[in-house]
Amino acid sequence: MEGWSFVALAYGIVWTVIVVYLFSLKSRYKKAQMELSALRSAQAISQNDKT
Amino acid sequence: MPVTQPLRRRRGILGALALIAIAVGLYWGLIVAPPDAYQGEVQRIMYLHLPSILAAYLSYFLVFIGSCMYLWKRERRDDILAHSAAEIGVLFTALTIIEGSIWGRPTWGVWWAWDARLTLTAILLLIYTGYLMLRSLIDDENRASSAAAVLGIIGFLDIPLIHMSVYWWRTLHQPPSILQPNKAPWENIAWPLLIPLLINIVAFLLLLFYLLSLRYRLGEMRDEIRMHRLEHSL
Repeated sequence: MEGWSFVALAYGIVWTVIVVYLFSLKSRYKKAQMELSALRSAQAISQNDKT
Repeated sequence: MPVTQPLRRRRGILGALALIAIAVGLYWGLIVAPPDAYQGEVQRIMYLHLPSILAAYLSYFLVFIGSCMYLWKRERRDDILAHSAAEIGVLFTALTIIEGSIWGRPTWGVWWAWDARLTLTAILLLIYTGYLMLRSLIDDENRASSAAAVLGIIGFLDIPLIHMSVYWWRTLHQPPSILQPNKAPWENIAWPLLIPLLINIVAFLLLLFYLLSLRYRLGEMRDEIRMHRLEHSL
């Protein structure tokens, strides 16, 4: 049974770390996506104003 | 440039394939595969350990390629590839060290040993953590990319050392399980243990490419944001 506790510890840590990294990556991705679309729309407005 | 629909769909398919492969790998590694005759259940950690380090090696190979290409052509996409792959490589290297440490406690009786392979892997982690820190410490983007590219290339030289360390020095770490010269993997590992190992290698590589595609796109968007800001400030 002792062997299984080490297996559970290893699998638990690995998959928790991967899931946390994936969520952090997705959140950074969404933040950048929102910032970029805000910048694009601001640029479009300023170009319209010029014309 | 906006991400196209087919690209997003392809990434979705890659993510789904990775998820399926991970589920199959977990089932096979934890339930179907028999325990090892000598190590018992603890050997199941190998189904994480080997795929993690292979994913890390592949990530650093991409850092190496991206860095060489960036220094040669000065194209942003190469630098973004190197930066993205380095971040994911650090993740997989850290996981490899953690898994190895957990496996080492019941097998060797210690969490850590200053063995050549373990130490060189820890150095690899430090080099690429330094790579990521270097990028964030230099304000000038082009200088940061160039300095990081040089470190990315030098750091890659540690990988052949890690691989050969078990032959060159008397180490506690066992020789390679599947990448042995003049020996096929099935000559070294019995099929019931090799099948889950191969499934998990495929799963980790699919996961690597899924994470890399997301991280690469994030890098592209950050570059675009920087260019917008630069244009606005002029």
